[in-house]
Amino acid sequence: MILRAVEDTDLIRKACRGDVEAYNLLISRWEKRVYNYLLRIAGDREEALDLSQDVFLKAYQNLRKLDDPARFAPWLFRIAHNEAFSAFRKRRPDREAPGSSDFAADEIATAHTPVFPIELSIAVTTALSKLPEEQREAVILKIYQGFKFEEMAEILSCPVSTVKSRLYAALDVLKMQLAPLKSRGVT
Amino acid sequence: MSCSPFDLRDYLLGELAETERRQVDVHVRSCGGCQEEMERLRITQSTLLELRDEEVPQRIGFVSDPVFEPSGTRRFWQAFWSSGPKLGFASAAMLSGALLIFTFLRPVAAVPPVTAASVDTARIEQQVSDRVAVEVRKAVAESEARQQKKTAELLAAADQRHEQQLRAFVANVSYLQKQYNVMAHATYEPGSLR
Repeated sequence: MILRAVEDTDLIRKACRGDVEAYNLLISRWEKRVYNYLLRIAGDREEALDLSQDVFLKAYQNLRKLDDPARFAPWLFRIAHNEAFSAFRKRRPDREAPGSSDFAADEIATAHTPVFPIELSIAVTTALSKLPEEQREAVILKIYQGFKFEEMAEILSCPVSTVKSRLYAALDVLKMQLAPLKSRGVT
Repeated sequence: MSCSPFDLRDYLLGELAETERRQVDVHVRSCGGCQEEMERLRITQSTLLELRDEEVPQRIGFVSDPVFEPSGTRRFWQAFWSSGPKLGFASAAMLSGALLIFTFLRPVAAVPPVTAASVDTARIEQQVSDRVAVEVRKAVAESEARQQKKTAELLAAADQRHEQQLRAFVANVSYLQKQYNVMAHATYEPGSLR
């Protein structure tokens, strides 16, 4: 008998056949990543949790449409991206796009309790929140979620060149703000 | 501005192939400007990673409730309608079935029945044979007329040639007669007949 770890693709196939327990196991593997992605986009724990539940519900309803189970991660984050931006539009219908640069650090600092109490974490959170939404999301997907450029392009529905330009622009800004900060030994 | 053969940000973000990474390594070792830029990027990345992932405050999970769970038939239909190949196969099968049914059930065009009263085969055969006989006779007569005319022409030509030969022969005989008379008169000696 050969033993092997249960892979996501196995769980996806079982979930497609209506196995809810298999899907719950799949959720347990991905919920932390999805939650933190949404948390860094939304800046609010409660909203991130609500959005995460919506994401996994929608993913379950559409799981049979997933052609290649190996592409589950970008597919799931594509749903998360759509859910988040849909929620932003409902929450702020007067805004033309959630990525507008007026979504600044002050908004998070005043409207929500800072997510991370450590100074450096606050500095990072503030620096991220000052970025335009599109650039911030590019940083989150690359630095924190570790997606490749092609996967990011799939999630964001834009060309790889756009992904790179957003990310590079964000890195240039973050480098100016964060590199001196750490060099001075804020922590 | 970096003078590295490849983008240092791509290097740091793990988007370069191994050979490209080695080229960047070699370059950065010998280039002070790129070393500084690489260091700044590393610090930026490590600072960003100070922001740790949080645990999910509440586990996400679903329960299977038979009340809300779709029936087997519904699941089959959902799976069917969401599958392009299945829909394509079903369409092809329906089209083939329709063609087969149409082929077997197609009404045959009605042929008017043939009655004995409407067709007089003997009369038609008689008319046909009469026409054939007339045409044959006509063709034979034309052929005979052509043969007779040709024969008459040949005979006339033969007579003409015979007449010409005869005239030539008579002319030759007359000429020979004259020559003979001349010769006989030249060799005549008076008293030789005595």
